[in-house]
Amino acid sequence: MKLLLGAWFTLPRLGTAAFSSLMKAGVQYDRALGFKVDAATDIASAVKTLSSALGEDVELNLRCLVCGKEACPGCSYLAICDRTKVSPICLCAEHSSGPDAFEVYEKTFAETLVS
Amino acid sequence: MWVEKYRPKKIEEMIGNEDCRIAAIAWLKKWRPGAKALLLMGPPGTGKTTLATLLGKKFGMHLVDLNASDTRTKDKLDKKIGEAIRTVNLFGERSLIFLDEVDGLLGRSDYGGVEFIKEAVKLTQNPIIMAANNQDADEIKKLGSVCVALVFKPPPPREVEVYLRRIARLEKVEVRDQDITTFVTSAGGDLRHAINSLQSGNTIASGGYKDKSTAIAQAFEAFFDSTDSAAALAALRSVSLSPMDKVRELNRCLIRSSLPPKKMSEALGVLSRADMLMGKIMKNQEWRLLRYLDNMLAHELLPVIRGQNLRYATDDLPFTTLVRIWNDSKKVKELSLKYALRAHTSGSSARSQDIPFVFALCAVKSFREGLEKTLDLDETYDKFLQKEASR
Repeated sequence: MKLLLGAWFTLPRLGTAAFSSLMKAGVQYDRALGFKVDAATDIASAVKTLSSALGEDVELNLRCLVCGKEACPGCSYLAICDRTKVSPICLCAEHSSGPDAFEVYEKTFAETLVS
Repeated sequence: MWVEKYRPKKIEEMIGNEDCRIAAIAWLKKWRPGAKALLLMGPPGTGKTTLATLLGKKFGMHLVDLNASDTRTKDKLDKKIGEAIRTVNLFGERSLIFLDEVDGLLGRSDYGGVEFIKEAVKLTQNPIIMAANNQDADEIKKLGSVCVALVFKPPPPREVEVYLRRIARLEKVEVRDQDITTFVTSAGGDLRHAINSLQSGNTIASGGYKDKSTAIAQAFEAFFDSTDSAAALAALRSVSLSPMDKVRELNRCLIRSSLPPKKMSEALGVLSRADMLMGKIMKNQEWRLLRYLDNMLAHELLPVIRGQNLRYATDDLPFTTLVRIWNDSKKVKELSLKYALRAHTSGSSARSQDIPFVFALCAVKSFREGLEKTLDLDETYDKFLQKEASR
């Protein structure tokens, strides 16, 4: 299962114990939108619960601040980036490669603040 | 130093912890007297202090900051920031109270620091921000009821890379892609370390990913082998340790070395002055003075140790020696507590003020026997007291 940090996702019924464990880990739940794992979540614990409840590996993906898409595909730091321990927003390959990547990042963050 | 030069001047210029930064701004915008305080938790170097400083700047608030680990008692906290908490200035403008390292309040419950903060949050006329490194501490959890907590994490490597590339561009420095990757990788999420590596064109990091302890050892070796102050300075700046730990490690290497007594005395003298500088920085929160620490070590320590074949000491004391030290420490602690009970003083006062004299007096057999009887000490203490008295 691919999990994009900071984005809502749906899950099949996991049972009370798994649901309760996810809530304890700080996973957000909304009846209409589903579940969300973000900066305030104990990500390692949430991943462990999801992985055992679904019976499959959970692949975490950081979200690109600029475009909101998955930032991890093609990243050269995948091997050393512990996505359960770093802050959950990053930059995708496209938005981290230009000469003005930082300025775009800064501008997007400023716009996020205004909105 | 590039670390200073490129220190973020506004919140937008920071990297990592975007959600936390947005939440902190939202918290301060909405803050009214009686609202909860903000607790920033996370490892050192993730931007907690920077964010607090920049929040004050953004909202035009005067920042009243205090390192809570230096001022722990309720009375002292009240004396230092009580007034700032309870009042606004003549024009009704608020200050931003920043208590750094509140996990330093955890030492003893009778200091009352945690209770002071809880009370202050209820009564304050000014928003309070706190920062803590250890989010799992019980006392930090106690503060949870009066705080909005935000967890800071290291920025992802790719963001660090983007930040380094920006600095390189502004400094007009050509850096190879593989070197940037190495700086990012060896920094392990520590932005300060990554920037220092970039500035020094780090030869230590350029061998690819290395274990942090290896990098530290190599950085110190590079410092000891430096032929001039500039190289020594670059080596010291690449050590990814806190300034205090840097001084401690140098001290450890020195006392294990075979420097001639005169050189040893001079070298320890330099470290002593560095330690005093650190003390002043910590006490007065003069973090800007930190930039002089590496300079001081490079310009004063290097001339003393140059050519003395000093090496980085990875070994610790032999295990048997360590066991002896632990056992003796345990005995001193037990004795101090028993003494404190009889002398109506605290264990720490007994240990620091009385026990050294008691040991000296134990050279007299009658005194020693009397002490053993009065404090109900078992026979193992007799030999221990004799040994301490003979020192």
